[in-house]
Amino acid sequence: MKPFKHYDVNTLDEAVSALQNFAGKAKIIAGGTDIVGMFKDEVFAERPEALINIKTIPNLDYIKEEDGMLKIGPLALLEDIAHDELIKGKYTALAEAARRTASPHIREMGTISGNICQQCRCWYFRSPNNRFNCIRKGGEDCYAEEGENRYHSIFGNVKDCLAVNPSDTAPALIALGAKVKTSKRVLEIADFYEKEEPKKTTVLDDDEIVVEIQVPQPAANSKSKFEKFAIRKSIDFPIVNCASQVEMDGDTVKSARVCLNAVFANPYVAQKAAEYVVGKTLDEETVTAAADLALQDAKPLTKNAYKITIAKSLIKKTLLACK
Amino acid sequence: MSSFVVDKKGIKRYAVTIGVNGSEYTKVIKANTLLVNFLREDLDLTGTKRGCELGDCGCCTVMMDGKPVNSCLVLAMDCDGHEITTAEGIQDGEDLDIVQEKFVEHAAFQCGFCTSGMIVSSRALLNENPNPTDHDVREAIAGNLCRCTGYVNIVAAVLDAAKEL
Ligand SMILES: Cc1cc2nc3c(=O)[nH]c(=O)nc-3n(C[C@@H](O)[C@@H](O)[C@H](O)COP(=O)(O)OP(=O)(O)OC[C@H]3O[C@@H](n4cnc5c(N)ncnc54)[C@H](O)[C@@H]3O)c2cc1C
Ligand code: SF4
Ligand code: FES
Ligand code: FES
Repeated sequence: MKPFKHYDVNTLDEAVSALQNFAGKAKIIAGGTDIVGMFKDEVFAERPEALINIKTIPNLDYIKEEDGMLKIGPLALLEDIAHDELIKGKYTALAEAARRTASPHIREMGTISGNICQQCRCWYFRSPNNRFNCIRKGGEDCYAEEGENRYHSIFGNVKDCLAVNPSDTAPALIALGAKVKTSKRVLEIADFYEKEEPKKTTVLDDDEIVVEIQVPQPAANSKSKFEKFAIRKSIDFPIVNCASQVEMDGDTVKSARVCLNAVFANPYVAQKAAEYVVGKTLDEETVTAAADLALQDAKPLTKNAYKITIAKSLIKKTLLACK
Repeated sequence: MSSFVVDKKGIKRYAVTIGVNGSEYTKVIKANTLLVNFLREDLDLTGTKRGCELGDCGCCTVMMDGKPVNSCLVLAMDCDGHEITTAEGIQDGEDLDIVQEKFVEHAAFQCGFCTSGMIVSSRALLNENPNPTDHDVREAIAGNLCRCTGYVNIVAAVLDAAKEL
């Protein structure tokens, strides 16, 4: 690993000014489970000069209900979110997503802000020593298009990049209608991901930090559910995952949100599925039609059409679980 | 913030104090020092193994403030002021810890490369939950890969150790 500078900061303001001092050449380190691997493998085309450690800022790992919403501090650990009684009971999909993330060790280090900000896992992108200087790194080509693309996007590219967002908690937070509070603004989490430029994962500016995750309290008659398909039950990233939240009105659906991940550059809101189920009862027939509609727009690559079947199945499972 | 020196090449080195197995070590390290290398190379604690170095295999597992973590993904810098427990630290003086004893009794290892990580993860579990179920044990070692044993004897050893706590 090449040398770099390291700063412990004591407040969020200090973290922002440290980022400003490095004008784009420094990165935040939270749990480090993603960024340390990137530094170690020299993945970056232009590696950041410094890491700004925010773990030294006190009291940023809270999980509490306040002002009619669930507030989660940026340093809340995935393991604590997975086992929090309040989250398990009311914000179920989020607890399930955190619990299915990586391994217990990584959940003891990995934070919620790191999880939603993590970089893609495209194996060309992550190949050590910047071996493939692809589009996401400012190069000319995407190696996945004609190469090994079995884990890549089934909903097309963003400026020719076919990588997928690997986060497990992001789709759960989107299904739950969460917001991301940053050092500059409050964003719907669905708008938190960069839509135009593959060189960036999120819309965060170079000197902007996630300072809180805010999840509105779910309506009384609502349920949420997260499901993940991975090769092994633990450690592995999702091949596809899905979270749904449904509010019922008696026997029929009042409103729904469905989000897939690991299928596109950003978490993929399955709008058509969510709209289709409104006003209907959640039975096998309805959810099958909803899942088919959601995957109508899929454009699989040479080696990943199997992900369509998985995505449909996860949409169906999560919706039925919200009955 | 920790104090530092800048060497002739302009590389910063930082003074950190890390608690390891009950002793405090103050060392001057570079920011790119991984905890696993700090333990193995600076402190000669080679019980902590280096395998995948990617967070996948768990053979580098140590406890940080009592929680199991992959020391290959932790910067030693970020352990300043924290307490690390390695496989060596689990041992009770000259005597084996009950978990270690049970691993021997149940032949819960073959090549042994995963063993120290397995033992640290299992110890971390038993410290929090002295009455684990089979499932609890399997979940606790979900981040520890073993190429040899098939896990059955490892789980049996941990459950057996729990009985004698
Ligand atoms: C073996 C392995 C398996 C894994 N499996 C999974 C899995 O199944 N599912 C999954 O979702 N993830 C998985 N991960 C990814 C894992 O790194 C994340 O889940 C973890 O939550 C990242 O959190 P962190 O705090 O360690 O992030 P860090 O590594 O500290 O940071 C990640 C990124 O977020 C940025 N960042 C962090 N905090 C902030 C903030 N407050 N404001 C702005 N930017 C910030 C950093 O600059 C960096 O770019 C796995 C990782 C490994 C190594
Ligand atoms: S999918 Fe994106 S990240 Fe992967 S090689 Fe293509 S451009 Fe690079
Ligand atoms: S060496 Fe750390 S997890 Fe494999
Ligand atoms: S005993 Fe060989 S890897 Fe576990």
